[in-house]
Amino acid sequence: MYVELHARSAFSFLEGASTPEELAAVCKANGMSAMALLDRDGFYGSPRFHLAAEKSKIRAHIGAEVTSARGWRYPLLVESREGYRNLCRLITRMKLRAEKGDGSVQPEEIAEAGGGLVCLTGGAEGPLAHALAHGGIEAAIERVEQLCRTIGRENVYVELQRHLTREEEARNQAAVEVARKLKLPLLATNGVAHAQPEQRELLDVFTCIRHHRVLANAGRLLSRNSERHFKPHAEMAALFADLPEAIANTAELSSRLQFSLNDLGYEFPSYPVSEGDSQIEFLRRRAHEGRITRYGDANECARKQIGRELALIEKLKLAGYFLIVWDIVRFCKEKNILVQGRGSAANSAVCYALGITAVDPVGMDLLFERFLSEERGEWPDIDLDLPSGDQRERAIQYVYERYGKLGAAMTANVITYRGRSAAREIGKALSFDAETLDRLSALVGSWEYKDPNDTLARQFRDAGLDIRHRRIHKFFELCQAVQDLPRHLGQHSGGMVVCQGQLDSVVPLEPATMPGRVVVQWDKEDCTDMGIVKIDLLGLGMMAVLEESLQLISEHYQEKVDLGHLPQGDNAVYDALKKADTVGMFQVESRAQMSCLPRLQPKKFYDIVVQVAIIRPGPIVGKMVHPYLNRRQGREAPDCLHPSLEAVLERTLGVPLFQEQLLRMAMIAAGFTGGEAEELRRAMGFKRSEKRMQEIEIKLRRGMTANGIVGETQDKIVLSITSFALYGFPESHAASFALIAYASAYLKCRYLAAFTAAMLNNQPMGFYRPATLVKDAQHHGLKCKTIDLTRSGWNCTLEKIPDGFAMRLGLRYVKGLRQEIALAMLRERAMRPFASVEDLKQRVPEIQKSELTALAEVGALNSLSGRRGFHRRDALWQVERAARRPGPLLEVSETPQREPEATELDSPLAQMTNEERLIADFRGTGLTVGPHPMTYRRAELKQRGIRTAIELPRLPDGTHVQVAGAVIARQRPGTAKGFVFLSLEDETGIANAIITPQLFEQDHTVVVHNPFLLIEGKLQNQDNVVSVKAERVRALDISRAEVTSHDFH
Amino acid sequence: MAFASIFVPNFMLQAVVRAEPALRARALALIDGNPPLCHVVAVNEKAARAGIEIGMTKMNAVQFTGVEMRPRSAAQEKIAHGALLDIGWSVSPRMEDTAQDTIVLDLSGLGQLFGAEPEIGAHLAWRASECGLLAGVAIAANVDTALVAARGFSGVTVIPPGEEAERLGQLPVGMLEPSTETAETLSRWGVRTCASLAGLPVLELSERLGQEGVRLRALARGAVERSLAIAEPVHFFEEEMELDDAVEGLDPLSFLLGRLLDQLCARLAARSLAAAAIRVRFELQPDFENALDRRKEIFRKIDLPGAFERELQLPISSRDSKMLLKLLRLRLQSNPPGAPVRKITLGAESARPRATQGGLFLPRFPDPEKLEVTIARIANVVGEGNVGSPSPVDTWRPGEFHMQRFLAPVEVAESTGGRRRDPAAHSPASCPNFKASASFRMFRPPMPAALELWEGRPTRVVFQGLRGDVLAAAGPWRTSGDWWREDGWRQDDWDLEIHFHPASGERAATAAGAAFVSRPGCGLYRFYFDALLGCWFVRGVYD
Repeated sequence: MYVELHARSAFSFLEGASTPEELAAVCKANGMSAMALLDRDGFYGSPRFHLAAEKSKIRAHIGAEVTSARGWRYPLLVESREGYRNLCRLITRMKLRAEKGDGSVQPEEIAEAGGGLVCLTGGAEGPLAHALAHGGIEAAIERVEQLCRTIGRENVYVELQRHLTREEEARNQAAVEVARKLKLPLLATNGVAHAQPEQRELLDVFTCIRHHRVLANAGRLLSRNSERHFKPHAEMAALFADLPEAIANTAELSSRLQFSLNDLGYEFPSYPVSEGDSQIEFLRRRAHEGRITRYGDANECARKQIGRELALIEKLKLAGYFLIVWDIVRFCKEKNILVQGRGSAANSAVCYALGITAVDPVGMDLLFERFLSEERGEWPDIDLDLPSGDQRERAIQYVYERYGKLGAAMTANVITYRGRSAAREIGKALSFDAETLDRLSALVGSWEYKDPNDTLARQFRDAGLDIRHRRIHKFFELCQAVQDLPRHLGQHSGGMVVCQGQLDSVVPLEPATMPGRVVVQWDKEDCTDMGIVKIDLLGLGMMAVLEESLQLISEHYQEKVDLGHLPQGDNAVYDALKKADTVGMFQVESRAQMSCLPRLQPKKFYDIVVQVAIIRPGPIVGKMVHPYLNRRQGREAPDCLHPSLEAVLERTLGVPLFQEQLLRMAMIAAGFTGGEAEELRRAMGFKRSEKRMQEIEIKLRRGMTANGIVGETQDKIVLSITSFALYGFPESHAASFALIAYASAYLKCRYLAAFTAAMLNNQPMGFYRPATLVKDAQHHGLKCKTIDLTRSGWNCTLEKIPDGFAMRLGLRYVKGLRQEIALAMLRERAMRPFASVEDLKQRVPEIQKSELTALAEVGALNSLSGRRGFHRRDALWQVERAARRPGPLLEVSETPQREPEATELDSPLAQMTNEERLIADFRGTGLTVGPHPMTYRRAELKQRGIRTAIELPRLPDGTHVQVAGAVIARQRPGTAKGFVFLSLEDETGIANAIITPQLFEQDHTVVVHNPFLLIEGKLQNQDNVVSVKAERVRALDISRAEVTSHDFH
Repeated sequence: MAFASIFVPNFMLQAVVRAEPALRARALALIDGNPPLCHVVAVNEKAARAGIEIGMTKMNAVQFTGVEMRPRSAAQEKIAHGALLDIGWSVSPRMEDTAQDTIVLDLSGLGQLFGAEPEIGAHLAWRASECGLLAGVAIAANVDTALVAARGFSGVTVIPPGEEAERLGQLPVGMLEPSTETAETLSRWGVRTCASLAGLPVLELSERLGQEGVRLRALARGAVERSLAIAEPVHFFEEEMELDDAVEGLDPLSFLLGRLLDQLCARLAARSLAAAAIRVRFELQPDFENALDRRKEIFRKIDLPGAFERELQLPISSRDSKMLLKLLRLRLQSNPPGAPVRKITLGAESARPRATQGGLFLPRFPDPEKLEVTIARIANVVGEGNVGSPSPVDTWRPGEFHMQRFLAPVEVAESTGGRRRDPAAHSPASCPNFKASASFRMFRPPMPAALELWEGRPTRVVFQGLRGDVLAAAGPWRTSGDWWREDGWRQDDWDLEIHFHPASGERAATAAGAAFVSRPGCGLYRFYFDALLGCWFVRGVYD
């Protein structure tokens, strides 16, 4: 039986056109028993190939094509664990000494790599073909002999490939001659580069991308035919009918290759403890100390839970992992870096006691098995949230320092071909001009929801393109085919792996683009699948906001706020939440969250946990939101499906909202063990498989029947579990996020100036643009001041005013102003105030005219002259002179500072109008602290009967209204059946509007392209949730200011 | 002294309307760009009212009913520009060719001929309208005021001396055509009209905008004094002949062409120039439009129905009218217009005449002019594109090649930096590893064949009335490609040793020439199966 021993996947980056899964699937479909994946210079696709092969019950042989410095490639197959380790090290060595993406080995390094490897002589790029082309048959014999000396005669196979070309056949005849002469075995392969013949087209496009060509001029770089696809035994046997031993030898070699990725030999590093001590004892002591601090000595529940967890940790030998994470958290705390564990780690009382997480799992009765279980056989996953930016980098550097260059690495992030970028590259290969490319790529994945009427032909017609054009048609076929194929390897934002021994013997390491960083060749999911424990050091914008808010509070309000001990049950916070007055608050600020909050009426912390978890695709798709809200409002009675589930579902009124509840339901109703329940969660998870779901459903039903739960109740429970789908939060995760949500709400309600400044300093983040954050803060009474070079810093800052604090916009908001220039100006200003624009230009000579203009245009130079009435145009007038270099005769290097004469400050230019100021503000800073654009037109709008946002809640449900404003958000969520949600901002607040799919279809261009809209329709005012169901949408000419909206396409 | 400026607004569109006056009354949009993406580049008022905007794609624009679409025509624009120059020259010999859509005339001393300035303005507008162009005409005491006013105001505008600043004041500053950077600065300053620019203090303005600012301010005040840049005569020569009765047949046509060529060459000679290219354009009887369409692959481009256009690129510039006529005749022989000709336009692109000196010890090469005539004669026999040197193309497509034009030896010498190339240096035989065991003779076009297969391998063949058994077969050798084009291919080649049946054996040897004969009555051929057509062909024979 033939075994394909030389296949490339798309992880050969632009040299293969199929995923490892496709290759495994086609292998299985053709009844083949094994296959080898040899990607170029790495094991990038090996984990996925290994897992797919395991599922298909075929054997996945591992190997790689390693680039030689002499211009050929060694196809190397791994025979044993030793071979795998050697190849990993060889690849790591060649990668780490070269630029990212490059690297090659010297032939002698192959010899040094050691045993456990089998080398093929390769196809057109192999050592044999190279020697033949450059020196004929004698050179070929010499090259193969050398290979035998290097790697051992028994480990060399003379490879034959037949892609139905004359040149290749001539090479094959020479290869057979070489094999006969040297008495080496022949081996047939197909040098597979794609699973299916039609994928050759994609391979051709990849070839173009790789060589920076287009299809039209790639010529003979492209494939000669489509024969490099996977071929089954019968086809290969027919091709090699004259050399049956070449086929037979594939099975023989396959049986020799005993290594599989199950035998990785990975060990997590141990935490260093003093002699005579053990890791578990050390952990026990830390957990005990933590327990006393967190719970006090008397909490028996906590003691028991921690004891139970520690026993399991000891049994699974995970003490080292917990201590390493604890060590990172300790480092962060020592360095005043805000850190909080998230995700399922919050289910662990040990994590809580160690200070890794901030949610009390005992008090909240969280399910530990969701975090760690004996059955699951995989490492626990602890994610740490850190302030995004430099602080997180410090934590990452700490791990590097502690475990060494080859002991710790970032996980990779496989960048895949997606959406517009894919469209651009394919379009380029097909020779579309830049403008057509723009149009074509705009067609790809514009809105999340796909209208059934939105056919390809229609989209093309709308974009002014003819789908019958062959190239355009191919463009779309290829765009679809390329989706999700790997493009290149990036660095994951925070996932780190550490290893006891040398990490480079477990997985090859590569240099990252960022200097000093090393990444493994596998992404986060692959590392998890291969049982490599990772620690996620994630950057969370809101953590940075919280950290900065605390600094600002301490600096200006002279108050010390401890996030760990915020006053609970703060009325202002809950009042704001009940009114959905949540702009800027973590996780509860989105349009969907806002429409839920007035119905949910949060009164206590757990309500926030529910709120965070309920607006997720899981509960929404599972249709659990409305039953929960109805039950909460007393409109329907809670129903826990079965009496035995009351304990689990009681606190969510019988509606499962959290992953843990599903797990517990399965455990109680169907008698699942913790591990089986976790298996259920994974089955519903990201890589969802119908077959696996069916198996689990059968198991669920069997278990429930055994427990006497039958009939309709059984159906309901099964339905509620299976329909929960994948996007539900674990309760612990929701609780961790709820803590941050509460903290952000508390800071916004109590320290608005500090919170707003911190929010503005950490953009982009959250749901709203800075313009909306500023307007919202102003509605709450915050005085926001313009950018002023005499007062502003780089960041937004606080200024003391008689009734509290005002927020001063920072220079970071001046578009086009470089940070280093701003800092140079601030340094100069600290020494001596600037006397004039000319003085500024003279003292900061690096400043460019465009930067001076940008400052003048947004009014940042108005105070520079110290003269009242000096306006933006005056400054612009001065800037033009200051920016124009005088001739060499007049240029003086050290002009003593002098006060400008009054006449020099005069300008003949007229002051900006309101409209001009608005345009300048939005163009120059993206926001305005002055009146909202709608303010200037209110009188006229009022006459036309157009309501303000603030009026709407006071009007009865069903009133016919007209509302107008700047569009700040457009959403078309995948779960909303084509409805479009708009948020319109006016000078009084935000009004919400709903556009039906029909209306959207009719007025698509108006809705999508206009910055100001007038919406007419029926007011929906129920349960304090207010929105206008649009019947008519019109563009409104309010201002030419570039007001931008946050569109979720 | 007074100057008149004539400005043709929406020039691209007017150029097309001028050639097709019926379009004037309709909504019209002009399209330009490379397919599949063509844009609207100009619209008239009616089309704009219908909702068509500049920049729209053709696909979008065709959705508007009642709007005529026409391609932008560079040729018509050139002719319209020529007409605009004619309008100017018809009044004044001193003219500036400012832009494709704008000219300025010096009106000094024209009063006695045409009357007062308003009359001259009206006369110019009338002349423009006679030439099919709706133009704005402005007369002012200086060139630039006239220019700006012609662009800014419609109809005829006469600005009396001293009123320049006041009259221009209301126009937007954009009319002064400032540089992008200055335009941005002025916009930031809120300076939108010429009046507000004119009001800025000149010294301060020069400190800020430099000389450009000062110039723009002076322009805005109508105070720039400059002389005309008198238009140089064009370097494209054109002769045209409209016939009362359409001419059919090459001989009478050649007579007329000869006359026109003589005139052209005389004009070229007077300017010491020669023709680098000759363009002939025939306007045909419209009834034969369909006949022309069938030849669209042969003809270059047909702008108007019933037009025939042909360009003769000359490798060496010449003004030998006899030789040029010979070449033209040869071209027209192989591709006759196919319909009676009612108008002939003959254009010559001028270039410096060739001046070379033959080397004393260099071998004589054929005279380039003669070579060109010879090549044209051969092309006349074998078809255009079938004469030259074949050169390989970088593709896997079997048999693909490209015909390179023969180059006159003198040019070869020039292109290789004075050293002549050795033709043998690039032959395959010059490669050290080249070992030709057999050569292959390709049949063009390939011969259709019928093959009998057994288990996927050919066993018997029939082609050209020959029958034979396959003694040995090698293959299939598979190629496919150009899948993104309409003319992609997928072919399986087979090398077959065929033993011809006795009756056809001899004929085979004759038909296939000196075929590679492994044994008597046998031949080695290459067949291929075209998977897209589903047919077998004989590609060629091994010699």
